[in-house]
Amino acid sequence: MKKARNKFILMEAILALLVIIFTVIILREKEKENLEKVSVIIQNADDSQWAAFKYGLKMAAQDQQVEMSVVNMGTGLTAEEQKNLISQEIENGARAIILQPVSGDDTEKMLKRIGIKCPIMLVEEKVAVQKGKNTFPVIEPDHLAMGKALAKELLHDYDGKLEGKRVGIVVESRNSEATSSRENGFREALKGTGVNIVWSIANDEQEDVVKNLQNQSKVDIVAALDDNSLVLAGESAYYGNLHGALVYGIASSTEAVYYLDAGSAQCLVVPNEFNVGYKSMTETAKKLKHYFYKMNSETVSYTVLRQENLFSEENQKILFTMSQ
Amino acid sequence: MKNKILNYFKKTEPKGMQSIVMVTFSVISISIMILLGSLMYLRFSISYKEEIVQNTKTLLEQTGESLEDYLISMRQVSDTIYYNVIKDSDLSNVNREVQNKMNLVYESDKGNLQSIAIYNGSGSLMAAEPVASQKRDPDVTKQEWFVQAMDEVENMHFSTPHIQNLFDDGTHRYYWVISLSRAIELTLGGNSQMGVLLVDMDFSNISRMMNQINVSRGGQYYYLCDGNGEIIYHPCQAQLNDGILKENSKTATTYKDGVYDETFEGERRKVIINTISYTGWKLVGVIPYSTFYHGMVNVRYFFCIILLLMTMMLGVISRTVSVRLSKPILRLNESVKKYEAGEKPEIYIGGSQEVRHLGNSIQKSYEQIDTLMRNIVLEQNERRKSEMDALQSQINPHFLYNTLESITWMIEGKRNDEAVFMISQLAKLFRISLSKGRTVISIKDELQHAQSYMNIQKIRYKDTFLVTFDVDESLYSYCTVKLILQPILENAINYGVSYMDDSGKITISGKRLDGNLILSVSDNGIGMSEEEVSLLLTDSNRAPKHGSGVGLVNVNNRIRLLFGEEYGLVIESEPDEGTTVSICIPAIPYTEENRKILEKGHLLRKEEINDMKIQDKNNEES
Repeated sequence: MKKARNKFILMEAILALLVIIFTVIILREKEKENLEKVSVIIQNADDSQWAAFKYGLKMAAQDQQVEMSVVNMGTGLTAEEQKNLISQEIENGARAIILQPVSGDDTEKMLKRIGIKCPIMLVEEKVAVQKGKNTFPVIEPDHLAMGKALAKELLHDYDGKLEGKRVGIVVESRNSEATSSRENGFREALKGTGVNIVWSIANDEQEDVVKNLQNQSKVDIVAALDDNSLVLAGESAYYGNLHGALVYGIASSTEAVYYLDAGSAQCLVVPNEFNVGYKSMTETAKKLKHYFYKMNSETVSYTVLRQENLFSEENQKILFTMSQ
Repeated sequence: MKNKILNYFKKTEPKGMQSIVMVTFSVISISIMILLGSLMYLRFSISYKEEIVQNTKTLLEQTGESLEDYLISMRQVSDTIYYNVIKDSDLSNVNREVQNKMNLVYESDKGNLQSIAIYNGSGSLMAAEPVASQKRDPDVTKQEWFVQAMDEVENMHFSTPHIQNLFDDGTHRYYWVISLSRAIELTLGGNSQMGVLLVDMDFSNISRMMNQINVSRGGQYYYLCDGNGEIIYHPCQAQLNDGILKENSKTATTYKDGVYDETFEGERRKVIINTISYTGWKLVGVIPYSTFYHGMVNVRYFFCIILLLMTMMLGVISRTVSVRLSKPILRLNESVKKYEAGEKPEIYIGGSQEVRHLGNSIQKSYEQIDTLMRNIVLEQNERRKSEMDALQSQINPHFLYNTLESITWMIEGKRNDEAVFMISQLAKLFRISLSKGRTVISIKDELQHAQSYMNIQKIRYKDTFLVTFDVDESLYSYCTVKLILQPILENAINYGVSYMDDSGKITISGKRLDGNLILSVSDNGIGMSEEEVSLLLTDSNRAPKHGSGVGLVNVNNRIRLLFGEEYGLVIESEPDEGTTVSICIPAIPYTEENRKILEKGHLLRKEEINDMKIQDKNNEES
């Protein structure tokens, strides 16, 4: 009798345990409806150059069912300031961070410390590593290849005859790994062509960037290696303030495309920023869903836009993401 | 292996009544519950699917209607411009009136429109609203909307969304439009020529309309494609452009309006089609089957919880019921076990009516068994006592003394032959009395014993009475209880003929009647009244006046103990006429087997006696 009673109690206990398990599962399912939050910290987030990137983030967040917020980070931030911004986002409920890292020696250390408690995915550029391999996953365009591609287009337009041509280079900041790679690629591809790179300026080193550009010595070609620089050069060319120099560049905003459309720029190399946003968010969401998932680094493709093919069916698709 | 499994099931076989009731009740109720639960879940899941499909269908129809209204309004804009502006004016010199009319139409539907433009057959811009600078050499003749309008002049044409690259409004932005184009007849300088009227609709309106219905996080979505399967709107447009995702829009264009099942990219899904009139566009709702699954996940867990709770509840109920049902029986069983173990508790009487009845019956049975056991012990004691008495009667010292004295007198009187006869009769008497300790002997031996006894008594009573044996020899081989005639003969002598002078007569006769044997001892003595006769077999306390003291009651009891209540003595007597004592016993052949059965001492049932009789009858017939 006692044995039977014990068996009965055991059976009831097992059933009660199952009820509890199923209840917990239901509650967890409901919790899942409260989406995990991912914070995206990028410089000048409101700039139109980020439109395609943000659209990629948005689409991936929809597909992966996570909540996303984009945080604007001013230019010229130190590693410490960026750390504070990240910490603030984590405190505000961010479960993962997608970050455009600032350049600096301390950035790697800082990211390593934060990376322990919160997954971090880098976008646009790698973080400078003092020694060893870069351990942080990064989704970025192939900057070196884009620099080379830009030079290749230049060579193509001049049938390879660049001997004696004067070239000026404009970049937003020299502290950016991305810009350095682009410039390196550009210079590398033009090596031995007899081209004369007369000047190379960085906007963040100047007080009045527009005046500074106009005051530079006359060149035949201005290579703007980032979106802001290209818009600046395009605008100057549009208003005839570039001494007749032709503008080539790397950009990702509709303004840049406008100057190409208007004939103020000759050629644009456009990185697939939609893909940067989409893939970075997808990888981050996967990491959030599966604790042991290892986020992968990837380089995304780029497209060369010219006035004549600007509105082709394929290029309209690129413009579609930029216009969002 | 098979034995192991069988042993396992044998081991797990429920043994107690409570377990059987509980397991049976639980299994039946849980099975019914699972069956009902499954049916309910199935029904619910079908209804859920139907509801989702129906909702999607309704939403598609509503959106389709909105889209149609929107497109109709755009066609109306085109018609208004064509019939009210273009037809009425010579566009070689666009004057203020024409521009005003176009502006009026544009302003009236500004929210839906991006621009209105009129081109001549060679692609030159004739008029446009809002007024904006045309881009340098847009070459509209190569643009699809222009080509389509000029190819099929009788129709209006809706393009797929594209960037409008005709005008520069100075905002550095690009607008997504759907172009509604139609061939028109222009009047230029009094001459009529073909041209194209372009109404660029703001794509964001359609996009907004579609975004409003694409809010579900369940997995279902809606897209819009043209008659060739080219995507107009898709919630994952950029992913499609980037090759991250694919859409089965080409197949969707082959479907008519309705609901279809299809498998695309390894995923089963329901596709609902709604065609937008005039344009041939297809509004498509896609519900992946995983949506149904995800929607039902919580319901499934909820059903599981209900099922588990019900099982728990039924477990408690079945246990309570089984305990209540089985408890009285278990208590009854316990009391019976205690009884069997030698204790003597009260048998449990309680619980339901049936169990009470069972308890009562068992208790009565046990009481009866006790009574019977006591009776058996008493009977056994009585039997032993009777046999001892009978035996004792044969060695009655008085009888022996008289007999031996008679023998002495005979020897003294030189009547040696008589003495020898007397001694031989006495020897026979004792031999049969002993009979190797047997209780059952043959009729022949019993008669021999009676004869020896009568021979001795006749000598003692100097032949004052006559003894006649009239028993058929065929009865000699039947069983009888030892020494039943001697006490009757003793009584016949003592109370019947001893007082008669030479006229006493005792007859011992035997016959067979209806399968029974009747041995009778008749005397012509003084007889008895009926009252005395009735007391002879009932009053066991009567002290005998004469003889061995073994009464007829003793004889009667011994016969009944051995053969049953229906056998025994029958006494018939008439005062001054004489007395007949009849012994009625069953006709059982005297065999060693029958003797042993009878001597075992238990009361023979009627059936057993009848079997013995039948056996005898068969023997006779054979």
